[in-house]
Amino acid sequence: MTSSFVRDRPVTEAPSRREPRPAWRSAPGAALVLLGALSPWASAVIPGGAYPGLATLQFFDAPYLVTGFRLHLLLLGLAALLPRASRAAGAGAAVIALVHIAFLAALGVLSFGGPVTLAGGALLIWLGRREPAPEWKLPSRALAWPILVAAFAALLWAVSAMLTAGGQSRATNPHGGAEFLSFLGFAVGLFGILSAYGVLSWLSALAERHRAFSLTVLLACAMLLPLTEAGTGYWMTVASTIGIYAATAIGLNIVVGLAGLLDLGYVAFLGIGAFTAANLAHVVSFPVAALAGAVVAGLLGVVVGAPTLRVRGDYLAIVTLAFGEIFFRAAQNDIGGLTGGANSIPGIPPITLFGQGFDQPVGGLPAGFLYYALTVLLVAGTMAVLANLKHSRTGRAWLAIREDEDVARAMGVRTGRAKILAFLVGATLAGLAGAVFAHKLGTVGYESFDFSESVTLLAAVILGGMGTVPGALVGASLLFVLPEKLREFSDYRLMLFGLALILIMRFRPKGLVSS
Amino acid sequence: MSTLAQQIVNGLVLGALIGLIALGYTMLYGIVQLINFAHGEVFMVGAFGAHFVSLRLLPADTPWYTALPVMCVTAVAVSVAVAVAVERLAYRPLRGAHKLAPLITALGVSILLQEVVRVFYPGATAPLAFPRAFPDGHLVLGPVTVLWTGVLALAVAPLLAAALHLYVERSRLGRAMRATAQDPETARLMGIDPDRVILATFVLGAALAGVGAVLYGIHYTQIDTAIGFQNGIFAFTAAVLGGIGSIRGAMLGALSIGLVKSLAGQYAWGGAQYDYVWVFALLILVLMFRPQGFLGRPERVRA
Amino acid sequence: MTLVAERLFMSFGGLLALDGVSLTVPDGGVVGLIGTNGAGKSTVLKAVSGLLRPHRGEIRLRGRPIHHLPAHAVLAAGVAHCPEGRRLFAGMTVEENLRLGGHLRRDRHVAKDMARVYDLFPVLGERRTQRAGLFSGGEQQMLAIGRALMARPALLMFDEPTMGLSPIMIRRILDTIALLRNQGTTILMVEQNALAALMLADHGYVIDLGRTTMSGPGTDLLADPRVRAAYLG
Repeated sequence: MTSSFVRDRPVTEAPSRREPRPAWRSAPGAALVLLGALSPWASAVIPGGAYPGLATLQFFDAPYLVTGFRLHLLLLGLAALLPRASRAAGAGAAVIALVHIAFLAALGVLSFGGPVTLAGGALLIWLGRREPAPEWKLPSRALAWPILVAAFAALLWAVSAMLTAGGQSRATNPHGGAEFLSFLGFAVGLFGILSAYGVLSWLSALAERHRAFSLTVLLACAMLLPLTEAGTGYWMTVASTIGIYAATAIGLNIVVGLAGLLDLGYVAFLGIGAFTAANLAHVVSFPVAALAGAVVAGLLGVVVGAPTLRVRGDYLAIVTLAFGEIFFRAAQNDIGGLTGGANSIPGIPPITLFGQGFDQPVGGLPAGFLYYALTVLLVAGTMAVLANLKHSRTGRAWLAIREDEDVARAMGVRTGRAKILAFLVGATLAGLAGAVFAHKLGTVGYESFDFSESVTLLAAVILGGMGTVPGALVGASLLFVLPEKLREFSDYRLMLFGLALILIMRFRPKGLVSS
Repeated sequence: MSTLAQQIVNGLVLGALIGLIALGYTMLYGIVQLINFAHGEVFMVGAFGAHFVSLRLLPADTPWYTALPVMCVTAVAVSVAVAVAVERLAYRPLRGAHKLAPLITALGVSILLQEVVRVFYPGATAPLAFPRAFPDGHLVLGPVTVLWTGVLALAVAPLLAAALHLYVERSRLGRAMRATAQDPETARLMGIDPDRVILATFVLGAALAGVGAVLYGIHYTQIDTAIGFQNGIFAFTAAVLGGIGSIRGAMLGALSIGLVKSLAGQYAWGGAQYDYVWVFALLILVLMFRPQGFLGRPERVRA
Repeated sequence: MTLVAERLFMSFGGLLALDGVSLTVPDGGVVGLIGTNGAGKSTVLKAVSGLLRPHRGEIRLRGRPIHHLPAHAVLAAGVAHCPEGRRLFAGMTVEENLRLGGHLRRDRHVAKDMARVYDLFPVLGERRTQRAGLFSGGEQQMLAIGRALMARPALLMFDEPTMGLSPIMIRRILDTIALLRNQGTTILMVEQNALAALMLADHGYVIDLGRTTMSGPGTDLLADPRVRAAYLG
């Protein structure tokens, strides 16, 4: 303290940077993962037959046959030697190890390789470097197109592999659940590594620059799915169910993600579309029925949206919940004879166009392909709506409302109109999806539209990343594939789901694909 | 006439029980603006806790005057333990996160608790008969008959609400709770630890829900894993109807909800199958046209 | 030294609010912070009282680091913060507000201290059962000061205590602060009214863009032409 008059020297400091961790620090972890991959995993022959055909645990039978998850571990262990990749690779290896340890423990078999791999993965996460991903320059068009085609082809392969990982059901593969989860762990590691090197953001920037081209290729890739391993009637059905929920989730993403209006009764619009189409199924053709479903749902969306003029935030969430419950109760009690009540509405005919039933095989393609193609178009359509709205005047108004409604109003945004429009668009899309839903399933009952479905859709939006275009698709795929894959855990499905909601909010509240 | 009187009494009993849940909602929302969907589940686990202690631990011939207090204490203990765990593990890490996160976490907790009980509590996949830990029979008042358990609920719930009101108005902790509700930042400048206040709020709310759970069980003689969610939504409605943050309001709102459900089930279009619908319709109307409720102030007054 | 703050850095969303502010408050002294709107004066007080956490830098109260403590623990350590805009609990009575001021006190002298506040501001004593929200701005400021005193703090911080008051009330509040100073209370105050602040303060700091640009005895700063030009008009 000087008592005389002094002018303090301005104090500025460069932000302190921790020493980057040397690359060799990932070596011990990587070595452990590699060691784990090459060790025997099970202490005995597993009851119930050989562990998945592709992933041999029978080290003693075929010690040098490294396939399946052991191959994945080998790859991750090698990748972990790359300086930036070690954390993501470690996370992937740890997930794979945990899945198999748990699975083997449940069978009463000791695991040798598991703990070693888990330790290696933990070491990699712990010692790995955490630094921002590098940014890459975008290539010229001549190079960009082949790169995009290759990337989407890889994506197609990944989707097909993910879908078919673990096989169809418990009947064909008793270890399907574990195999699928293990594969998911590998995918997590792989995507983590790509994102650590900035490849994912580079690719998405590239796709953004060549938007029209990317969308065309993406659509083409989606249509090529039947030619992959996933090209059976079963997987087509699964994929189209996922597609319907994904389209619905994208609609919800408009309401929640863009406009920030939390809707806890959204599945009601899917239901309204489905019941409308079901009632008209024998009267009019599918396009008319679908249109009717969309219009009726949209109108009811306006009704549900009307309170937004007066109600906000949490209270609005409760209003939508109340609307959802009213719909559910009404449907349960067969209101006006429109919903069939507890008997549901059976016998809805499949969509037919030009004499071709959508449930029949066409050409050399598997049965269910037409529904799959229809839902791909539906998803693409809703994504296009979302993407266009996001960058439109209306979209900006929604984003302003999401950030601060009062400020938005002060800036001249007509908030009431914009909010009702959000509900209208979201409900219309859900209604359209509902019409497809009704025809594809052939029967519609009220129990498909209960509160937990609304929560699942919401979770899909949040898991994927609110307001992002691919987010809801990613989220819906995960949330609706998982129960399909983990049937042996069906009793625990909702429990794990609740737990997942809590954990996502805790560790990744912005979702997997953050905007 | 006698039907009307009877339905009014039935509605009031239901309302009193919902009121015990609503008190937790109103306190918590008043303080942290969190719609704790899991509060209904806290009520539900209390009921199962009481069910467990009565069927598994108490001898079959335990007289009701011993069984009832033991069940109440157990229910309160279970409810409080679960509420505290939920607060510490799920909500506390989210302080300061964006608005939707706690609400979605609350949904997750609600689903998780329901499912944990459904899967792991023996027999909970179907409704369970609740032990009769109170004298059978009923009070006859002219045309109206009330089960003694209903009389108990009608007596205990307002009493507990009044006690809570006194506690919040007079005690040091109560003052800290009100201060935190009015202005959390300034409350911290007064040396009030918001985490402790919030935890205390969870504990008080859970204790009341635990008592409510036992009263609910002995009156309706049957519990299942869904009682929490349904009654929780009603209780939240009641809290809003009465004016969120107001203890008297919550009780008043709950009694109104009980009346609406019971009278609408009797007289309104659609009958008993649609009684829920009327409650939800009321909820929407209240939120739209009088979101501050009966006793709430329109806007938080600040100097 | 009652309070030492060294090189505080803080930013909100990329905007640097504090860019290395350092200051000291001697025992029994009054230190004034002056500066324009948005210079970071209130941020300094909030950092001291624990409402905000500085990203870097150290704050010590009587030698003990307090910059990592949450607000309620900072009060327990001995810093009372009388916030900008008074922030009374409008729905509560005068007496409840004072009790909240002494919330952490477990000793027997709470009643005595309350009587002291009523002596200092008789109008509060007369209306002790009325709701704080019904009071005029000046009376509310009195209550806010009284509420802060109830904690028996080692350091009392005022943020804009005269804001929005009538000239008579401004006089009254400044007299009270002078009285507290003469009784030996250590005070750190932020004031837009630079003249008033520097008249009262033993030592003053000029804060601009999150930095301490000048410091010195209050009277020296008052005499400095640059300060006169920038803050005294």
